[in-house]
Amino acid sequence: MNGVRVMVVDDHPMWREGVARDLAEAGHEVVASCGEGRQAVRVVAAARPDVVVLDLQLPDISGVEVIQGLRAAHPGVRVLMLSASGEQQGVLDAVKAGATGYLLKSAGLAEFLEAVRRTAAGDPVFTPGLAGLVLGEYRRLAATNDAPGGAAAAAPRLTERETEVLRLVAKGMSYKQIAERLGLSHRTVQNHVQNTLGKLHLHNRVELTRYAIERGLDG
Amino acid sequence: MPAAGGFDVPLWRAVAVFRVAALAYVCVVLVRDADRYAHPLAAGFLVLLMAVWTAVTAIGYAVPARRGWPLLLADLAVVVAILLATPLVMGREALDAGLPTLPVAWLSGPVLAWAVCGGRRRGAAAALVLGATDLATRGMVTPTAFNGAILMLLAGVVVGHVARLTVTAGERLQRASELEAATRERERLARDIHDSVLQVLALVQRRGAHLDGEAGELARLAGEQEVALRSLISGAEPFAAGPADAPVDLRTLLGRHASAAVSLSAPADPVLLPSAVARELAAAVGAALDNVARHGGGRAWVLIEDEESAVTVSIRDEGPGFPADRLREAVAQGRLGVAQAIRGRLTDLGGTARISSTPGAGTEVELTVPRRES
Repeated sequence: MNGVRVMVVDDHPMWREGVARDLAEAGHEVVASCGEGRQAVRVVAAARPDVVVLDLQLPDISGVEVIQGLRAAHPGVRVLMLSASGEQQGVLDAVKAGATGYLLKSAGLAEFLEAVRRTAAGDPVFTPGLAGLVLGEYRRLAATNDAPGGAAAAAPRLTERETEVLRLVAKGMSYKQIAERLGLSHRTVQNHVQNTLGKLHLHNRVELTRYAIERGLDG
Repeated sequence: MPAAGGFDVPLWRAVAVFRVAALAYVCVVLVRDADRYAHPLAAGFLVLLMAVWTAVTAIGYAVPARRGWPLLLADLAVVVAILLATPLVMGREALDAGLPTLPVAWLSGPVLAWAVCGGRRRGAAAALVLGATDLATRGMVTPTAFNGAILMLLAGVVVGHVARLTVTAGERLQRASELEAATRERERLARDIHDSVLQVLALVQRRGAHLDGEAGELARLAGEQEVALRSLISGAEPFAAGPADAPVDLRTLLGRHASAAVSLSAPADPVLLPSAVARELAAAVGAALDNVARHGGGRAWVLIEDEESAVTVSIRDEGPGFPADRLREAVAQGRLGVAQAIRGRLTDLGGTARISSTPGAGTEVELTVPRRES
């Protein structure tokens, strides 16, 4: 798959230019680049990117707000997050809001281009760090579920296989290595990882809806 | 012992005010009793002397540099001298009639000065000297005179104690606000560094990582500095000491090992363990990572998992690994390797260590510590 339409959102001009140049050299089309979240949400529908490369820390609005705005204005857009600081709660919130990929800014060029390609193809891009966060989030949800008077909407759970796969991702194994170790196909491993994110997105949307309804009834 | 920071300034002011107020009372006593004194004029001159000395001390003690032994000793000596002169101007008759000695409470001035300057002991010492002189000049111990001496001793001790407390509290407050200012400054720096330096370092690394030779080396160095700087500004430095059962976030302790070569994965919420347990576990992880670095180095991955009943830390590397029976062999030969050191630590914590390895495919260490019922 070639010629991905990419939009770059980052408040650092030098970084924005560097990334745009790298993407253009690799044969992708940079359809827009902006330094602010609100601006990104405004132009995304007109620019129609396949993938948004998004810095998680923007000066105006939070990463979660940007992702929600992007997905509302241009449904089907895929978001690859980059962050310089590796701050954890922000990354997890962004994943729950619908981002499907995450990379540290210090990742190498090849790794970055591979991540853009895979995000465009709909594959989740996990770092070991993100896998650890997602594992932790499922455990937290399970704990609130077990608590008396817990969440009314049953929190999603991972199957044993999904947990196994996610743990191996968190320990730095590639999908290929995981497939070999568990005797699965590469595609199956990929599906398992994708499901772990899919369930979180869905749960997040249900929770948001419920929250909105509760607020509406109360107000 | 002059206190830094001037926290004793209000105390010195209070001493000066006390002396002036006490002098006013001395004047009242003089006016009331002068006609019964043997030498009323001399008594008036003595009170004038007291007024001068009150002014001298008020000015003298106001400057920290002058609050030394010379002034303290002179203060005590002058007051003792005035006290000794008192019976001469009052006369035996007036004293025997039970009139209060002329300086009354004014003679406590040096006691307060000594107490504010040097704490309880100096306050008590000055009180004893003055009390003894007072009793000696009367030639007899009346209950009132004795009470006065005791009250002066107590005043010396109490004021000395309070003075120390005030200075210590002031210093603590200052330290606390300095710490707060430092924290705020670090947060500000962290924001700035994040916005600029980190981004540039990451960019340098990314642009140059695929280049050969010196450029590639520079990019690699930039990447290392980026990681070091990031962990520095996150301020994840745990306090060195603390109670053994105070909960500590394991992520913070293990965060120190994260680098370009070691990736750390953890939940978003703190993983709390009693600090003694967390420290032992962190030491075991450190030993495992040291071992990775010693045997060919390469990358390593650390995963922290927080379950309801246990905390698990896994360490995986893709180093040379070793055959499964070598561990047993080592134990049989009585060699206590790194593996045994790690196992020992975990056994002490009531946990387990699982170590598995295949030659050529790296090593995996899984450390599990049960959560104690709380």
